[in-house]
Amino acid sequence: MSTEQWTRLSTDAFNVALFAYVAGMLGYFHYLAFRRQPVWRLASSAAFLGLAANSVSVVARGFAAGRVPWGNMYEYSSLLALLVVAGYLFVVEGVYKVRVVGGFVLAFSVLTMAVAVLFLYVGPAPLVPALNSYWIKIHVVAAITGSSLFALGGVITILYLVKDRRERRAGAALAPVAPIMGGAVDLEDAPPHFETGADEPVGDGATRRGLLPPAATLDRVAYRTIAFAFPIWTFAVIAGAIWAEEAWGRYWGWDPKETWSFITWVIFAGYLHARATSGWRGRRAAVIALVGFASLLITYYAVNLWIVGLHSYAMGVLALPAMALNGATVRRRAARSAPHDAREEE
Amino acid sequence: MSSSAAGAPRMTLRQSVALVWRTLRSMRTALVLLLLLALAAVAGSLVPQAGMADARIAATFRDHPLRARIFNQLGLFDVYGSWWFTLIYTLLLISLAACLSPRTRALVRNARARPQPARELDAMRHYAERAVPVQPDRAISGARRVLRRRMFRVSQGNGAGPPALAADKGLAREAGSLLFHWSFLLILVGIVWGKGTGFSGRVAIVEGETWTEAHANYDGQIREGRLFNEDHSGIRIRVDDFTATYRIPSGQPEDFVTRAELSDPNGDVVRSVEIRVNHPAGMGGVKFYQFGYGWAPVIEVEKDGEPVASAPVVCTQGRPPEGVSALQLPWNCVVKLPSLSPQVGIRFQLYPDSRALYALLETGQAMPMLTEFAPVMTYTAYRGDLRADRVQNATVLDTTAMRAWKDGVLGAGRTERLGDGLSISFPDLRQYTVLEVKRDRGLWIMLLAAILLLVGLLPALYTSRRKVWVTAEPNASGSVLKVGGFALQRRSQFEEEFARLVDELAKASGEKVGTS
Repeated sequence: MSTEQWTRLSTDAFNVALFAYVAGMLGYFHYLAFRRQPVWRLASSAAFLGLAANSVSVVARGFAAGRVPWGNMYEYSSLLALLVVAGYLFVVEGVYKVRVVGGFVLAFSVLTMAVAVLFLYVGPAPLVPALNSYWIKIHVVAAITGSSLFALGGVITILYLVKDRRERRAGAALAPVAPIMGGAVDLEDAPPHFETGADEPVGDGATRRGLLPPAATLDRVAYRTIAFAFPIWTFAVIAGAIWAEEAWGRYWGWDPKETWSFITWVIFAGYLHARATSGWRGRRAAVIALVGFASLLITYYAVNLWIVGLHSYAMGVLALPAMALNGATVRRRAARSAPHDAREEE
Repeated sequence: MSSSAAGAPRMTLRQSVALVWRTLRSMRTALVLLLLLALAAVAGSLVPQAGMADARIAATFRDHPLRARIFNQLGLFDVYGSWWFTLIYTLLLISLAACLSPRTRALVRNARARPQPARELDAMRHYAERAVPVQPDRAISGARRVLRRRMFRVSQGNGAGPPALAADKGLAREAGSLLFHWSFLLILVGIVWGKGTGFSGRVAIVEGETWTEAHANYDGQIREGRLFNEDHSGIRIRVDDFTATYRIPSGQPEDFVTRAELSDPNGDVVRSVEIRVNHPAGMGGVKFYQFGYGWAPVIEVEKDGEPVASAPVVCTQGRPPEGVSALQLPWNCVVKLPSLSPQVGIRFQLYPDSRALYALLETGQAMPMLTEFAPVMTYTAYRGDLRADRVQNATVLDTTAMRAWKDGVLGAGRTERLGDGLSISFPDLRQYTVLEVKRDRGLWIMLLAAILLLVGLLPALYTSRRKVWVTAEPNASGSVLKVGGFALQRRSQFEEEFARLVDELAKASGEKVGTS
């Protein structure tokens, strides 16, 4: 197949995926509201169809460009959407059996892909020299996997906060439950307002079954997702530093992308610690996770699009790595190599 | 750790030091410092930083002088080098060390101690009883095997009562967490050692020239660490060729490559290398990175047939305005001839691709110059006083005491007569490559720290601490296995885990009797 045909296939599959995700999103929201089993089946099928089309799109794009399909933001967005949906379908729905948050997850992917196709599209092209390294395979795969998991954790954290608020309101009528202020130093799964070790919130039997799974479940799934993402993100930052050493001769230079990936890392590190600190579990930790989610979005979108740095090439535009020579060198250099020097003449 | 300060009106020095120390070693302090570090980094990414966005800093000074002065006073234009940023991470690392030391001691104590026996297993959250058809001693030795296989540390109770086991696992969690956190101090060591004993500089070398790695040859474009003892390598690099390749017509860069020959000071080791973006070349710990390039036309000047000057002249570009690619800009250079009387200075504008100049003249459109194509220079010659006695910028011609004399166009391979017996020619166009030269001996420490950090992180997040106790009490048909369990993390998972463990323990004892 020719480059044009691969490109065409990639674009078509992208559109199919986007359409299928939208359909799946609507289906999941319907299921969330009315709990009709067939609707869930349809929604889930649509999501799987979208996932397949998305995969085809990514692979075809790779063939069209003749390289790894994550060389610019359009491609990165497409892959991010794919991994978020895959993470949801196989982990959240597959392992944790939480079905009702699918609409929100798909909404995230739909948004990512819509932004990609509307604002970030560029045709397939070979990598610019600054990206042409085997580290793009290692660093970007880790970054994108970490991002997709953080995004998943962020979406579920939002739902946790919503559900938690509702449970608190409902629970206020019941006997108050004293928070357990243990001196735990280890990372802990259960937030303090649940009986330690219990997975079901106290008094849940008395509350009406809501649209969402119990807050405790959401909280646990969000925590596990973020705890899973954290080492991957850590590795991505390290791999990025190694690549920077290789490409620019310094492993860390406070480039905006580096700075923001560090900030994101620090916030999620704070989140993991907060869950181990009494009085900071539950809602407060969740708020930190949301700040981390926001920081992730800044790392990804704002830094690439608005803050100029060495990573600006992510847009796929011309990226001559700061070819202007520092003025001082030039002056002295020119002085030395000037065709004529008075001292020589005399 | 008594709070003796409460009653006394004033703290003694010793008490205040103790208070500071106590504050530092609390995890809350470490967390606050970590968040402060993140906030400082946010500030650094939003405010233009010196060395990265100098033009934007200058613009801030011009457009908002008050704001710029305040920012400058606060060190916001150089966040990562400011005293308060240094203070934050220094305190953070001290706090980290203060948190980690007692935890490490506790871990060592814990690892040396045997799992402790427990009483009243049936009062535990996880508890099970099973009747097994073997004697208590046999049941216990079966249980020991099972627990060992499941990676528990096991100790046997030596008390007077029935035979008992105490077992635990998951020390890797705390060990991993400690390893992860200590790694950050190792990273600091790597940074201090690497930056302290290393250097990093930048140099422009014209094709065909040889450059020696020594302090003086950087022309000041070098940063040396505080622990650096002037042991520059003396490595020589001869640049044979530089090539920049762009895709046509998109102008997307394809490849930048410097072909060079590296040799050690004695000339014993000679190696041909290609230095590319992402592919540095090195020798003896000194690495060369492709950083930039430019054009260096060879300009010959003759006076009455006698050569006055002949050398490649390094040309530079100004900062391109918004929306203009650097590839569209001509290159500027200056030739000064102070020995002539009156003195002569010539300004050149080089168009590596002459089609760009013609397009500019005909249509006013700037065109990117992707390759060399019949290069051409425009020139303006001045006569008068070069004012060479003043401090001068070699790339700028000070024409305050000069008058414009001649201007024109000089094509490659051509000679132009300026009059008065003076002629200039442009026999050859070369390129110069800009290389970043660097030595960092702390890199292996950083790599080690990064590996340890990841190795520590995994068990710290994913393993869990569990304790299990087993006793076997004799009964009519053999013995009763009593199992108690305790989980410090992931308690909900332990529910299932514990049930499976109890099944396995019972089975191990049961099967034993079947086979013997």
